[in-house]
Amino acid sequence: MSPVRRGETLPIYNRIRVLRADRGLSRSQLAALVEVNPQTIGALERGDHYPSLDLAFRICDVFGLPVEAVFSRTEFAPLSAGLHRPAPKEA
Amino acid sequence: MPAQNLLERYEARRTRRFLDNQERMSGWLPTWRTRARRRLLTVILAVVLACMFVATTATYFVPLAALAWLPLTLVFLVTWTSLQIVSSRLSDAPRHALDEREISERNSARSIGLGVAQVLVMIPILALLLGSTTDSVDHQDLAYAAGGFTLASILFAGCLPAMILAWIRPDDDPEDHL
Repeated sequence: MSPVRRGETLPIYNRIRVLRADRGLSRSQLAALVEVNPQTIGALERGDHYPSLDLAFRICDVFGLPVEAVFSRTEFAPLSAGLHRPAPKEA
Repeated sequence: MPAQNLLERYEARRTRRFLDNQERMSGWLPTWRTRARRRLLTVILAVVLACMFVATTATYFVPLAALAWLPLTLVFLVTWTSLQIVSSRLSDAPRHALDEREISERNSARSIGLGVAQVLVMIPILALLLGSTTDSVDHQDLAYAAGGFTLASILFAGCLPAMILAWIRPDDDPEDHL
């Protein structure tokens, strides 16, 4: 986990596992693309390690997404929840 | 590519050698690359180092106790080499061979090792300072025992980062190797 000099360590949630599955990437492949060890991708997915800004940007570059789409201070809702929204009922 | 200075060339060469060695040794002792086995090696190493402290302290009272260092050193070399192989030498890996998580863990472990070294080395230092001004103490035996204690302290503190990293490292997740 990234060191914090002072203050409470706030959680950083991520969607790496879901995005990786969506793109058909193994941990080893993603690790090679962002130049870390596969164990570090596993640690990120489990929340055992919070990435540096540099690593976060490199991961986002692989998925072609902005940082806020991959990392968040709050837990992500399942991606499937955003796929379909029922049409609003007519009055 | 900009010209590298001496330090950068040294670091690059060291990293290349480390990665070559790591690749060569990656298949060694395959059945010992589990957390349980790494922890077993760590415990054995801790016991050997503890015995070194006892043996070196005992030399003040029984000079022949120094002979215990011979078998202890033998067991130490085997255990330490095995632990380094199965934990991929993360504790003394060059910076460029590690990623940010590994550097962070290694730095924490090294910091603990340095702190332990400072405390342990203070013991023979104080013993020598106090003993040198006390007539009832055998100064020759004290110097010999303090030297051995310092050696054991440096060994223990030097091994501690590798022991900590070997202890905390989880088993490899099969998904990591897909």
